[in-house]
Amino acid sequence: MTLLRAIGVAILAALAVGLGACGGDDTATTTATTTATAPTPSSTPIRIGTKDFPEQFILGELYGQALEAEGFDVELTPDIGSSEIIHQALGNGALDMYPEYIGVLLSEVANNTMRPSSSDAAYRLAQKYEERRGFTLLTPTPFSDSNALAVTPAFARRKGVRSIADLRRLSPRPRIAAPKEFRSRYEGLVGLKDIYSVRRLRFLPLADRRYAALDSGRADVALVFTTDSQLVGDKYVVLADPRGLFASGHVAPIISKKALAAHGRGLRKAIDAVSAKLTTVAMRMMNRAVVVGRRTPGEVARQFLRAQGLL
Amino acid sequence: MALSAAASVLVGLALVVLIVAVTSQRDAAQTASRSQEALAAGTQLENSLITIENGLRAYVASAQERLLVPVREALRQYPRQQRALARLASPDVAQRRRVSRIAEDIKHYIDFWARSIIGLARSNIERARSQLLTNDERQRRLEPISVEFAALYQREREVITTRQDDAKQSSARAQTFGIGALAFVLAVVVGFTLYLRRSIVRPVLTVAEATGRLAAGELHTRVPEEREDELGDLAHGFNAMADSLARGRAELERSNAELTRSNAELEQFASVTSHDLQAPLTTISMYAELLERRRGAERDGEPDLVDGIRDATQQARALIRDLLEYSRAGRGELSLEEVPGAVVVGEALERLTGTIEQTGAQVDVGDLPVVLADRANLCRVFQNLVGNAVKFNREGKPKVRIEAKRDNGLWRFSVRDNGIGMNPEHIQRIFQPFQRLHGEEEYPGTGIGLAVCERIIDQHGGRIWVSSSRGEGSVFYFTLPGTEQAEKVATQALKQPGRAREE
Repeated sequence: MTLLRAIGVAILAALAVGLGACGGDDTATTTATTTATAPTPSSTPIRIGTKDFPEQFILGELYGQALEAEGFDVELTPDIGSSEIIHQALGNGALDMYPEYIGVLLSEVANNTMRPSSSDAAYRLAQKYEERRGFTLLTPTPFSDSNALAVTPAFARRKGVRSIADLRRLSPRPRIAAPKEFRSRYEGLVGLKDIYSVRRLRFLPLADRRYAALDSGRADVALVFTTDSQLVGDKYVVLADPRGLFASGHVAPIISKKALAAHGRGLRKAIDAVSAKLTTVAMRMMNRAVVVGRRTPGEVARQFLRAQGLL
Repeated sequence: MALSAAASVLVGLALVVLIVAVTSQRDAAQTASRSQEALAAGTQLENSLITIENGLRAYVASAQERLLVPVREALRQYPRQQRALARLASPDVAQRRRVSRIAEDIKHYIDFWARSIIGLARSNIERARSQLLTNDERQRRLEPISVEFAALYQREREVITTRQDDAKQSSARAQTFGIGALAFVLAVVVGFTLYLRRSIVRPVLTVAEATGRLAAGELHTRVPEEREDELGDLAHGFNAMADSLARGRAELERSNAELTRSNAELEQFASVTSHDLQAPLTTISMYAELLERRRGAERDGEPDLVDGIRDATQQARALIRDLLEYSRAGRGELSLEEVPGAVVVGEALERLTGTIEQTGAQVDVGDLPVVLADRANLCRVFQNLVGNAVKFNREGKPKVRIEAKRDNGLWRFSVRDNGIGMNPEHIQRIFQPFQRLHGEEEYPGTGIGLAVCERIIDQHGGRIWVSSSRGEGSVFYFTLPGTEQAEKVATQALKQPGRAREE
C-alpha cells in the first residue's frame, strides 16, 4: 500500500510538471517509429496494436515507447477496434502484439464460459489458448481492469440495487449503456442472462461517454472498467458480481512467437519491465490524466516511463 | 535595314510566343487529362472500399459465402487502383500527403477491419454481427477516408480549372501579342513602303515625267539634284542631258537661221541678178536686131556673127528666166485651195498644146482626185513633167499617162512616158538645178524644170522621185498630203457615175 501510494505521488508530480509544460507532440493516432540505438537481432518493426479506448491507447504508448527506448523499431497502430477485431487482425498477421485483458480474452475470444477460479487459473487457460494459435501471453500486469456494472447512488437507493442479480427484478426494464459488442459477449448480455438470469434489459450501444449517460439519466446501468478514474470517490456504485461473471481484468500482452523469436530475449524483457510497473493506482491516474486532464496518451506514457526510469 | 531587322525579330518573337502558348495549352490539356484520370482512379478505389464494406455487411448478415466474391475481387483490385491514384494525382505536396493518408487509412481499414471481420464471421458470426450492429464503425473507419477523397477530388478539379484558366490566359496573351506584333510589322511594312515611295519611286517618277516633257520639246525641263546617291546621279545625268539637248537645239536653231538667211540672201541675189541681167540682155538683143536690120541687105543668106549674138542672147535670157523661176519657186505663201486634179492637168496640157500637136503626142489622163494645193504651182509641176515626157522622145509618137493612187493617206500622182529613159545612176542628178543629161543641141532646155518641181512639191509637204531605165521610158511620181477636206471631196468625185476607180 505504501508502495502504491509512493507511485501515485510520483505520477501526480510528473503529471503536474507535464500539465504545466503542455503541448505534447504525441497523439493517439500517431505511429511512432525510431531508429535503433541498441543492437537488435532484427530490424523489422514490432507492430503493436491497441483496442479502441483510452486505457488501451496508454498501454500501447507505454509498450511502444519503452521498446523504442530499448532500440527496437516500433509500429504502433492504436484504436483498431474491439477484442474480436484486433484478435482477428493479430491472427491474420497484420499485428505482432497487443495488450489484452485475460478475462475478456477467455470469454470473448476463446469463448470460454467457465469462470476460472483465480487469476492464475485464468492466465493459464488463456496462455494455453494462445500457445495453440502460435502466440504467447507475456507476464500479466499487477493491475486488474475488470469489467463491472455501475449505477448512480441515487438509482441504487431508489431501486434497492447492490448486486448484478438485483437487476433481474426491476421494472421498468433498466437501460444499460455498453459498447456494441456487449450485446453478443459472454461478459455481456449473454452472461447476464446465463449466470444471473437478467433478461429484461434495454440495450443502449455507447462506445464511450457512458458515465455521462448515467449522469444524464439516459442510462440506468453502465458497463465500466474497474480502473476508470471516474470510480475514484463515491459518485458511482459498482454492482457486486458474486458469481464472477466478469473475469480477471489483468492485462497480458499477446505476442506472436515469430516476433519473439526474431527479436530475441531482450524484447520479452523490455515488455515485462513495463508490465511490472502497471499497478491499479498507476493506471487510474494515467486514465484520469487522459480522460479528464485531456493529455495525450503518448505524453502521459512518456512521463510515467521517465518517472519509472524506463526511458 | 534596322526596320526590317526589327520586324524579323518581332515576327520571330510572335512565333515563339505562339509556340509557347500552344505548348502550354497542350501541357494544360495533358495535366487536365491526368487529373481526370486521377479522379477516375480515386472513384474506382473508393468504389472498391464501398464494395468491400457492403459485401462484408451482406456476408455477415446472411452468412452466405458467395457474397464474399465481390469483396475478394475488390481486395484483389484495390492495390492496383491505389498505385494508379498515386501515379496520377497532382504532384503537389498537399495532394501527395492526401494520397499517402488515404493509403494508410485504407491499409488500416483492410488489415484491421475488413479482413478481421471476415475471420471473425467465420469463427463466430454472431460476434461479427454485433461488430457491424451500428453504423459507428462505418462512420469511424470509412468517413475519414471519404473526407480525404473529397479533398483530393476537390484539389484535382481545382487543378483542372486552374490549368484551363492558365491555358485560356496564355492563349489570350499570345493572341494579343501576336496581333500586336503583326500590326507592328504591318505598320513597319507600310512605313517602309511609304519610305521607298518617297525616297525612290517619287524621284524616279519625277525624272520619268521630266523625260516626257523633254521629249515633248520642253527643253528647259530640269529635275532637282538634292541627293547624293544613285538617284542623285540619275537626276544629275538627266539635267546634263537636258542641258546638252538645249545647247544642241540652240545651235541647230542658230544654224537654221543662218542657213535660212544665207539661202534668202542667195535667192535674193539670184532673183536680183536675174532681174537685173534681163535689162542688159534685152539691150544686147535689141542692138543685135538693129544691127541685123542695117546689114540685112548685105547678107547673102549665110549666118553671120549677129545671128550668133542673137542666139546667145536668147539662150542667156532663157537661162535667166528659168533661174528667176527657180529662185521664186518655193518662196512666198502658198495659196492653198481645193483643186480638182483633172482641171489643173487640163490647164497644163493647154499650155503645152503647141508642143503636143507638134510631136503628135498622146496624153492619157486617168481619174484624178481633188487635192488641197496651190493651183498655179501644181499646174507648173504638171506642165514641166508632161513637157519633159513629150520632149525626151526620139522615135515614134510620145505617149504620156497621168493618174493618181492612194498611198498611206497621201495621193500619189504619176506621169508615165515611153521616152528615152535614163541610167539609174543619173536619177539623183536630174532634180538638181541646171543639171542636164543631154546636150543643148540634142534636147533644148536649161535643166531647171525638175528642180522647180521638187521645190514646189517639197513646199506642199510632198515628195517627188523617178523610176526609170534607159530606153524604157520613165515614171515620175509625186505625193501630196491628203487633208480631211480634200479626202472628202476626192471620195465624192470618185463616186460620180461614169468614173472608174483606179485603185
